[in-house]
Amino acid sequence: MFQYLNGMQLKKEIKMKIKLNFTWKIWILIITLILSLISVFGVPPVALQKGVLITSVESNSKAFETGFREGMIITSVDDQPINNADEFSKLILNKFLQTGNESIPVVFDTTLTEIVYFSNKSPEITISDIPATNLKFGLDLVGGSRALVQAENKKLSSEEVKDLVDTTQNRLNEFGLTDLKVRQVSDLEGNQFMLVEIAGATPEDLESMIAQQGKFEAKIGDEIVFIGGKRDIASVCRNDATCAGIRNCEHTSSGDICKFEFTVYLSEEAAKRHAEITEKLDVNSSNPQYLEKPLDLYLDDNLVDTLLISEGLKGRVTTRVAVSGSAEGETREDAYKTTEEKMHKLQTLLITGSLPFKLEIVKLDTISPALGGEFLRVIIIAMLTAIGVVAVIVFGRYRKIKSSLALLLTSLSEVIIILGIATVIKWNLDLPSIAGILIVVGTGVDQQIIILDESRRGEFLSLKQRMKRAFTIIIGAYFTSVVAMLPLLWAGAGLLKGFAFTTIIGITTGVLITRPAFADIIRKIEE
Amino acid sequence: MTEQKEKPSKLKEKKRFKAQIARFHDKYYKNLLLIPAIILLFFFIYMGIFYSNTGGFIYRDISLTGGTTITINEKIDTDKLKQDLSDKLEDINTRRISDLITREQIAVIIETKTDRETSKEILEDYLGYELIDGKNASFEFTGSALSEGFFKQLLIAVILAFIFMALVVFIIFRSFVPSAAIIISAFADIFMTLTFLNILGIQMSTAGIIALLMLIGYSVDTDILLTNRVLKRKEGSLNSRIYSAFSTGITMTLTSLLAVTAALLIVNSFSAILTKIFTVLLIGLGFDLLNTWITNVSILKWYAIKKRN
Repeated sequence: MFQYLNGMQLKKEIKMKIKLNFTWKIWILIITLILSLISVFGVPPVALQKGVLITSVESNSKAFETGFREGMIITSVDDQPINNADEFSKLILNKFLQTGNESIPVVFDTTLTEIVYFSNKSPEITISDIPATNLKFGLDLVGGSRALVQAENKKLSSEEVKDLVDTTQNRLNEFGLTDLKVRQVSDLEGNQFMLVEIAGATPEDLESMIAQQGKFEAKIGDEIVFIGGKRDIASVCRNDATCAGIRNCEHTSSGDICKFEFTVYLSEEAAKRHAEITEKLDVNSSNPQYLEKPLDLYLDDNLVDTLLISEGLKGRVTTRVAVSGSAEGETREDAYKTTEEKMHKLQTLLITGSLPFKLEIVKLDTISPALGGEFLRVIIIAMLTAIGVVAVIVFGRYRKIKSSLALLLTSLSEVIIILGIATVIKWNLDLPSIAGILIVVGTGVDQQIIILDESRRGEFLSLKQRMKRAFTIIIGAYFTSVVAMLPLLWAGAGLLKGFAFTTIIGITTGVLITRPAFADIIRKIEE
Repeated sequence: MTEQKEKPSKLKEKKRFKAQIARFHDKYYKNLLLIPAIILLFFFIYMGIFYSNTGGFIYRDISLTGGTTITINEKIDTDKLKQDLSDKLEDINTRRISDLITREQIAVIIETKTDRETSKEILEDYLGYELIDGKNASFEFTGSALSEGFFKQLLIAVILAFIFMALVVFIIFRSFVPSAAIIISAFADIFMTLTFLNILGIQMSTAGIIALLMLIGYSVDTDILLTNRVLKRKEGSLNSRIYSAFSTGITMTLTSLLAVTAALLIVNSFSAILTKIFTVLLIGLGFDLLNTWITNVSILKWYAIKKRN
């Protein structure tokens, strides 16, 4: 059946045969494969796109204000086209090196908009070359942070977690974090968690940003006047120097201390409460300008500041309240910066409101992106070596180039289809997912060996009947594997979901698309 | 010329060899069951002692007990670090990560049961520089209560997976002994693998448990193939059907085994997760050879012969 042909002839013959004999099952495989390649590499291929990708933008920075956002692609700077990250860095360095304290305008062209950036410092962004594929990798491969959050000493209901997710999302957005995912997850035991995932660089203070309860209370004596959140706070003045900002800095023995102040507008209800409470107060006997009790500001039960209430406000319905506080630093600059941060945090907490319970971070991973590239390289090498080993064994056993080649190409196409599906549904490939792909390739090869062997067995049967026999075994094996993976979709708060998910997707693709096509290819080769 | 003459005699020899094996197997297949039975017995005793000593069935690493994994992207002497900090960081374990080609160290991984903040401070004190989350260092912290929960749930997942698998097997073959034979050999695979890991002193992790789930899938594949060929086919003798299943099945398992070994050699120590998965698979597939081609074959043959008579 198989003569000694030289390479060219062989290729020709395979081509001819395949061209003439494509069955619909093989067509389905080819079409799925092409679609997968398109979704992985993009049309036109993303690798050919010129420019650099913004991987992160510092929160509350000039760059952020000007409009730089994560995920944008910068194509040129001052009409000078940019090809890669190196070029970009050199260009930016040159531009801002000579400026000194003088601000200069620089025009950045991105694929979305044009940004005019006016400053004496280079924009606070990190960039990288544009990735060659549309594949998205998990935090454990490319770096980022992930926190699994629960309430302290309290089992949360599904609704409570839903509210928590909303508030947290809101709050983190207010803090200037953009590329983040906040989700509700539950596990096999019915525990509810909130999962926060942030790609790229790990923000400082991540723990307090996520887990701080942020309970803000303004009290006179023991009576609450107003708390943070929509019910009591109509609006908070921010980014407006006339009603918010750092008022003064002083030098002390231990360093510098700065004071901030901003205006808060209360709701009608809170304003009335203020009137009722102050009505009962007497004037301070030693300091008659003020009332006898001050307004105390608490954040998570810690006293932040104490404000004296002027005598004129007694019993008045006032919607305007000035909130203040202070922070220290070793140098003037330090103090200024920490005070600014503290003010921003307080403003955010006043707007978003507090969480109704104390939180506990039960799992916190902050992963550096440094090893990511090396990691992927090792995985790809491992996978190729494994496939190479399989190739040697399969060829050694069957001594048939065409069948062995078909087996390898089918396995490879299975990997590509899984990756294609992953890009379509925007699945992040984390390590468990990659382990899943490995198991899919493994079972795929095993089942193709069954098909190959069955096709050569039982001479009295037609090839079609032999394939049918192969498929009864394969379907049986398929169902045992799928049911074995199901519990993992829920165990461990879904952190291992990637493994179960890719495995199920992969072996299902195998049984529905690649295995039937492989059987037809073998039939065509054998006939 | 000579080659052509040799071929028929070689074929004859092969046939004779096959017949010899078949005769041997017909005579001793029940006795062969003693091999897995003795191993199983020995392992049961070992596990019994292990349980009474440790109060558990496996050694658990910090992914299942809670603790912190710290990766520092610097060249640091791992042995010295372990020695110097062993009384400060609870249950410290270190591993170095090297470049695949140059073998130059690129990072160190430190595992400890100590919590995140404390271990960060201790390490910064020791190293003399700041460790910045997500920049020169990675921190992965899991609280002990959560890990305990993970462990419990993963056990449930393995048990459920096993039960589901058993149900599917019963539905496919609809006869008790052959289905039970598959389930027994799958159980033996998992049990022997776990015991062997204990004997080697290898700790189990979440990744290791994932590998056990993979193993269920892999081991049952060949068992289903075997049972299908032996029970659902009529052509050929019982022995020839077993032999045909063996030649397919052994190719399957050997390919997986060698592919896993190759992958293990490459990822070794680079990725804790993948290393653990491949190690568990390697051991498991090894035991699967024993349990499919001795345990399962013997029970199935016994059953088929009894049914025929």
